[in-house]
Formats: sequence, C-alpha cells, structure tokens
Amino acid sequence: MANDMASDNVIRDEALGWTVRVGDPAFADWEAFTLWLEADPAHARAYDEVAASVADAAQLVVAVAPANDDLKPDEADEAPPRRRRPWLASAIAASLAVVAGFWAFQGQQRDFYTVETALGETRRVTLDADTHIELAGGTAVRFDRKDKRYAQLDHGQALFTVRHDAAHPFEVTVGKERLVDIGTVFDVRHDAQGLSVAVSEGAVQFDPDGADVRVSPGEVLRRAAGAGEYTLTRLPAEQVGEWREGRLTFESASLEDVAAQLKRATGIEYVASPGGSGTVSGSILVAPLRKDPASLGALLGLSVRSENGHWVIGSR
Amino acid sequence: MTVEPASSAGLEAAFLENRDKLLRFLRARGAGEAAEDIVQEVWLKISASRPGPVASPLSYLFRTADLLMIDRFRSTRQADVRDRDWTEVNAGDPPGVSAEPSAERRIAAAQEAATVLALLDGLGARAAKIFRRHRIEGAAQKVVAAEMGISLSTVESDLRVAYRALAEWKERSK
Repeated sequence: MANDMASDNVIRDEALGWTVRVGDPAFADWEAFTLWLEADPAHARAYDEVAASVADAAQLVVAVAPANDDLKPDEADEAPPRRRRPWLASAIAASLAVVAGFWAFQGQQRDFYTVETALGETRRVTLDADTHIELAGGTAVRFDRKDKRYAQLDHGQALFTVRHDAAHPFEVTVGKERLVDIGTVFDVRHDAQGLSVAVSEGAVQFDPDGADVRVSPGEVLRRAAGAGEYTLTRLPAEQVGEWREGRLTFESASLEDVAAQLKRATGIEYVASPGGSGTVSGSILVAPLRKDPASLGALLGLSVRSENGHWVIGSR
Repeated sequence: MTVEPASSAGLEAAFLENRDKLLRFLRARGAGEAAEDIVQEVWLKISASRPGPVASPLSYLFRTADLLMIDRFRSTRQADVRDRDWTEVNAGDPPGVSAEPSAERRIAAAQEAATVLALLDGLGARAAKIFRRHRIEGAAQKVVAAEMGISLSTVESDLRVAYRALAEWKERSK
C-alpha cells in the first residue's frame, strides 16, 4: 500500500513536469513524451488529470478575466529587469557549489552498471522521461543505479540529451575530466585521439574545478590525447550528434581521427596509413561504406587499399 | 506562389508521413481503440482550419492530437460528475434533463472561478502572473521569463506549483 502511494506520487510529479513542458508552445520532444507515456498506462491517466484540471481552471479564469485584469500590477512587476544578470550568475555559482557537494558525498557509494555498444551499432539509454543518451558504436558508458544525473564515458562517443535542473545538474566524467551541463544537448567523444565536447543546445561547463571552460551552442572543445591544451572552435549546431543519422563530417581531421570515427560508425577495420600525413575535410554518409569500404576514397579524396583484413587509408 | 496553400500542404504532407507516429502517440496517450478515429479527427481539423504558416508541422500535429485527448478526458469527467450529481438530486427522472445550464449551475461556475482565482493568488503574485501570461494569454515560457527578468527554470517551477494546486483543487471537488 505504502509503495503504491509512493509510486503514485512519483507519477504525479512526473505528470506535473510533462504538463508544464508539453504546455509550452516551444515544446518539440514528442518522442520522449510518447516513450514516457508508453512506459506505464498510469502515466497517461495522471497526465490527463493534471492537464484537464489546468485547462478547466484556465477556462474559468478566462470567463471572469476582464474583472481581474489589473490585479495587483505593482506586486507582480516587482522584479526590476536590471537585476537579471547578477541573479543568473549567482544561480549558476550556487548550482556549481551544489555539484561539488554532491560529488564529494556520492564519490564513495556509486553503484555502477555499464552499457556497451559493438562497432557499427548505436543504442539509446533512457534515464528518465527527459534524459536520454545515445551511444555511438564501440562505446562504453557507466551509469549509476542510485544517481540518474550521472554518467561516465569510458571510451567512444555519446550524445547526451538531458533535462536541465539547476539544483541537480547532470554530470559526465570523461577520464579525469568532469563536465557539468547547464543545458540540454551535447556530444562527448573520448578515444585514442583525445577528447571533444560539442554542444548543440544549452551549455556545458568543462572541468569546473580546473580549466572551468564554458562550451556554448555551436562550439566544440577539443583536446588531443596527452596534451594539456584545449581549443574551442565553432561548429554548425546541426552537426552535433549527426552520426545518429549516419553522417560524419570532418574538418581538418587527422587520418587517425577519420579512421577511428569510421570504424566506430561502421564496424569496418579502417586504419590510418603509417606515417600518413595531411588532413581530411568533408561530409559523408556511412551506409554506402558498409557495402563498399573502398568507396571512401572517392568520397573524401583519399587512397584506400585492402591489407590483411584492414582498410588502410592515406592521403592521395 | 502563395504561402497559404503551401504551408497547409506541408501540414498535410507531414500528417501523411507521420500518421503511424501519431497513432503510436495516441495509443500511448490512452486512446485505445479510438486511436484511429482520433487520427481522423486530427486530419479533419487540419484540413478544415487551414492554419497560417506553421513553424513545426510535426509538433502542430502532435499538439492537436494531445488537445483532443485532453478535451475527451474533460468531457468524460464532467459527464461523470453530472451523472452523479443528477442521480443524487433527481433519482427517477428521465435522463438528459441535467445537461440544461440552470441558474444554479451558472452560480456554481462563478463560485468555482472565484475559488480558482483565490487559489492562484494564494501562490504569490509572481506565480499568479506567470500562470496568467502563459496559460491565459498564451505567452511562451521563455518570453515570460525574459519579461519578468527571471530564469526559465523559475517559470517552470512556479507553473509546477500552480498545476499541482489546481490538480488538488480538482481532486477535492470530485
């Protein structure tokens, strides 16, 4: 009985959140909403209860609106706009402080499980109604059974779409680095070539205790393996996570980088030609490569040869 | 070259392309066997209303479907309450009579409206204003946040508080 009540409350809370989000004209994530509804028939019922109550109330208020139009305007407008920035800044500072506290507290008692993908495979992990992580091929991510606001990218690449909660930001650790979301959609890659964090919506605070770099939408932070320095460059936001649609875009990428990304996406053994130099730029769909690995050459202006079950790529 | 037919055609094309997604959404939404009928209703609505250019046709379709479901739920719930009240007061009378908007019912509605307004004001001026701007006047949450110089998450959490209070109000009046 007590458990039923507790789960009813959880469902009610989730339904409240969905009613707020879905009710906004800007809402677009109908897929996530559908998934939440499908998870339990009680979800639709709870959502209906809340949404219908709000609609009933709004209708009643509209009916009597003219009489109450200038209801206490002074009190309602009491927050002067010029206070906006300091308020936001302190809110962010406060949320980061909370993260630090949480981290110290949870450090010893994480309860991990690992989700892994094979090369050429992608997989979606749903943590809650608004938080899901898409894993590219050849990727391992550790999650915490006790903390749905945490993930650890062991290797590979993943696109994080997370619900923002200033009081409990989503955290990703990558190697020794820590990322804290201040927003929603970001892609993290961690492999032999190094580390990259690309943001398409919201923002990510990279290494808040050290470098403390903010990565904004349309920016990518890169660090080569073994290097201490970061670069922050522009990237068209629509390219973030485009691997999910089977597309890869390279801009002045090294041959090693191209080989590693292609291998992850297709499962085909691409390797960089030893001693190969030069950089690669271009955008390709990976599906045709599965049929004909050598077609890469024509697509990106590279030389491709088959050698002992590997496809060796080099500059022309 | 006119915008109007093109955008409406875009909406209809989006409907045809995403019919299965809409069906899946409606089933998850609890439509059951009525899902097909409601998809049909969405189609009728978009082909009858011919809305202006729609920024996101897919979102427009889903929203139409969602609002239809909310309306269905509301009318069923209202009918339940009416049937119960009616049975309590008029046991034995022929059905249908209770649907008449009586003077008592109008007074009851006015009293309910006063209760809702008092309840919203009781949440504080900020939450009451956010509710009004967003739900009554239709401003996007981002816009409300910018206007009031507060964060989007404050707007969201105030709305949550208001919605919770309204859901509880409805539960009490069951």
